Amino acid sequence: MPILTLQRSYKYIMYATKQPSLRIKQADLKCKTGCGFYGNADWDGYCSKCYRNHMEQVRQKKSRQGHSEQSKTQVPGFSKFEEKKRQQTDKKTKYLKSLPVFRKSSSAKDSGRPEKYYDMRQANPDANKLMTEFISSFGKWGETVRKDFSKCVQSFTTKILSELDAKPIEDLAELAQNCYNLYNDRLKNNAVYQAVTSEVRDELLDFFEKYSMVGLYSFLFCPPSTNDEEKDLTIQDRIRKLSWVNAHHLDCCISETSIEVRDLVYTAINDLLGMDSMKAPPGKAYLRGASVVEVLQHCQGGPVSADEFLPALIFVVLKANPARLKSNILYVTRFCNDSRLMQGEAGYYFTNLCCAVSFIENLTAESLNMPEQEFQAYMSGEVTCVSAWESALVACEGMHQLCEHLALLKGLSERTTVVKESSQKLREDMERLKEEINEKVNSVLERTPLIIKPRKSPLPITKENLLLSTFAPPKVSSDAVQQDEEEAADAPAPPQNYYLQNLSMSQINILDSTKNKLQLNITPCLNVPVKAPAAAPQLTDLLSPSPAHENKSMESLTPDDNSYLGLSKVNYDIDFSDISAENSIAEELTPDKRKSPTPSFTTPDPFSPIGTSCNIMQSPLIPSNAPLSTNAEVQQSTKKEDFVLPFLESMSEATEESLLDKVEEAALIALPSPSIKPFAAEYTGFSKQGSKIPSIPCNTGDFSSLNLQQSSLPSSSKDCSD
Amino acid sequence: MSAGPYNYSYIFKYIIIGDMGVGKSCLLHQFTEKKFMADCPHTIGVEFGTRIIEVSGQKIKLQIWDTAGQERFRAVTRSYYRGAAGALMVYDITRRSTYNHLSSWLTDTRNLTNPSTVIFLIGNKCDLDAQRDVTYEEASKFAEENGLMFVEASAKTGDNVEEAFLETAKKIYQSIQDGRLDLNAAESGVQHKPSQPGRNNLSNDQQGNKDNCAC
Repeated sequence: MPILTLQRSYKYIMYATKQPSLRIKQADLKCKTGCGFYGNADWDGYCSKCYRNHMEQVRQKKSRQGHSEQSKTQVPGFSKFEEKKRQQTDKKTKYLKSLPVFRKSSSAKDSGRPEKYYDMRQANPDANKLMTEFISSFGKWGETVRKDFSKCVQSFTTKILSELDAKPIEDLAELAQNCYNLYNDRLKNNAVYQAVTSEVRDELLDFFEKYSMVGLYSFLFCPPSTNDEEKDLTIQDRIRKLSWVNAHHLDCCISETSIEVRDLVYTAINDLLGMDSMKAPPGKAYLRGASVVEVLQHCQGGPVSADEFLPALIFVVLKANPARLKSNILYVTRFCNDSRLMQGEAGYYFTNLCCAVSFIENLTAESLNMPEQEFQAYMSGEVTCVSAWESALVACEGMHQLCEHLALLKGLSERTTVVKESSQKLREDMERLKEEINEKVNSVLERTPLIIKPRKSPLPITKENLLLSTFAPPKVSSDAVQQDEEEAADAPAPPQNYYLQNLSMSQINILDSTKNKLQLNITPCLNVPVKAPAAAPQLTDLLSPSPAHENKSMESLTPDDNSYLGLSKVNYDIDFSDISAENSIAEELTPDKRKSPTPSFTTPDPFSPIGTSCNIMQSPLIPSNAPLSTNAEVQQSTKKEDFVLPFLESMSEATEESLLDKVEEAALIALPSPSIKPFAAEYTGFSKQGSKIPSIPCNTGDFSSLNLQQSSLPSSSKDCSD
Repeated sequence: MSAGPYNYSYIFKYIIIGDMGVGKSCLLHQFTEKKFMADCPHTIGVEFGTRIIEVSGQKIKLQIWDTAGQERFRAVTRSYYRGAAGALMVYDITRRSTYNHLSSWLTDTRNLTNPSTVIFLIGNKCDLDAQRDVTYEEASKFAEENGLMFVEASAKTGDNVEEAFLETAKKIYQSIQDGRLDLNAAESGVQHKPSQPGRNNLSNDQQGNKDNCAC
């Protein structure tokens, strides 16, 4: 018995509201009645035993006076609420009693009530959930364990419920503690649990507490018979009044201004607030003090001592101001297994929480190391935020955060502008690059324009050509127009010295700065292939041989125009007209071949000016166009190859340019030979080409155009030179 | 032998009291940091403020609660004392004021714990002998007068830290053996695990190992 009473008194000491002072006088702690045990403010300064006696007397007195008396002593606003609550409870009871379901057993005097509770407990979803949890974790220990567990829980809850109205909450708490001990003994000694290991026994005991308390939560948490709710409101009000207290006052090393620390404090506050949502005492007791420890670790680093932990916890409690704080603490102290509260991490943190709350309740100027007047001024609200800017920062948390966000936004906008600028710059760079490239391309093109020049033909051909060119005019004239004849007639004079002719002509071209036109010349050539596809197979064949001609042309060029023109110049050899326009195109595309077998025989040069001296050429040519086309038609009709037609057409359409015309002409001339195909196949190497090429043009029949051109070219050159 | 967190027969609860800054937390840290025993998995060492020691072949889990030493919290920290089987009362040998407060700490401890609670006086920071403000003799005399065990220790170097905790445990264990300490009382600060499987084996196996901490 002495131990029991001792135990009780310790428990009550926990809530002693003794004002903090440098020394605790023994007398301050003792029971008012002087029985020698320690008293507690919650017990009106009595020890637990004396208080119970005292309360018994009061209760008896009250029961004589009637129940309503009780509420009169309470705060008016709150008493109303209390009254309402009680009325509701009564109503519920009456209603439930009136239901036939609950009338089964009328033998017991107050049977309606336990049944109601029982029913409600069964309906508790938490209980069902817990049962599943139980089965999942302890199911392997067999059905008997489960049954015994259920039986014990059942008997415990019914016992508590039956005593619920009859006894004060403290007795119920004692009852609960006894039940825990009983079950603990049962776990140790009962055969049912023989197989269960000691770890599981501990877990079972914990679960027993959890299960039963979750079921009884609504009856035992803040019961209407106590003034727990009042206490809640009191402490809440108190904390609100103490809102000015900051970490500095508490000598707490929490730096309120640091963002990280504040986040951690918020986490701790959340954990503290979460306590209210737990139903089982262990859950509630498990205050996550770790989060507070984390805060401190962040603030100072190294191991955290209680010297720092308690102030930090007080700070957190003050800032959190949790609802129903007192109810929660009382609930835990009453119904949590005592041994747990004195041990383990949860016990330690809960003890600290109790200390913090009791410190807050008894907070005085002295405990904050400040003059009494200042404390009073703070408490009455006369002075606000007199302390350093630190407190102002805390008070204006929102403002502070706003500033932070603004700063953040500012940074963001800065960064976006930077991004914008750089993107703008990038765009400019790209444009500049584009321009540069264009310029370069243009300059390169200007520097090295593509000049399509006629090339000399291999010996046999050239000879023929020469012959043709010299003698053709008459033929042409005979075939077609007089002008042509005239031109052709002019032409015969120079043929002897084609080299010179070429040179002069090309020079003239360049001098005339008709480079643009030279470039333009390319386009018609390119156009040709576009249209050519109609005759695709042959064309491809034709292309391969064409290089040979090109080579020649190139060679012919090099001697002619080295000084002015690059390799890109291509001379059209219309002399080889057999090969048709496509060939010439191909030549342009692949101008590498220099190994013309007969560089010296660059007779066809008359055409080289064609490209450059278009203007000059045009005038005389224009008239000749018509006859050319007719020629073409004639050719088509008379001979040779169908695939030429498209070219001819296209060329004839594009009559604007002399070059085109010439090309056409060349095509016209070239097209005919049906023998080209076989030749094309033969063109395997350039070296060979030279020798073979001659054979190609021979077949083509229309020399009139050639003659025309040739004749015209010299004439133009002559004009120019003149 | 089954290893694991339940591999102990008793749990003793200690509290460490003393003025602020005497090194309570450091003593605790120094002691619990060595809690990793060769035959114990590391996971159990993680538990809050605990260390398993061995006394007379019995494995005992020491659970040590650090307390706030500030004067202003004196009135509210009484709940720390609940169910403490051992109380380590610490003062700083370089600060006389901490020594002077010992009597008040002792009074509180005596008042708030049960009679069988073992109180151990520790003069911390003995590595700072040059700055000594309280002589060994003086403190030793005080301890004797009040029936306390006494040692000068250093949380920094670890001198005598083990001894203080172990001697306390031995004394508590002794009182259990003598029957002075009621295991069934919730406030005794001692929890017994009588149905611990393998406990007998343990005690038999390690009978010769008594008084040795296994670390």
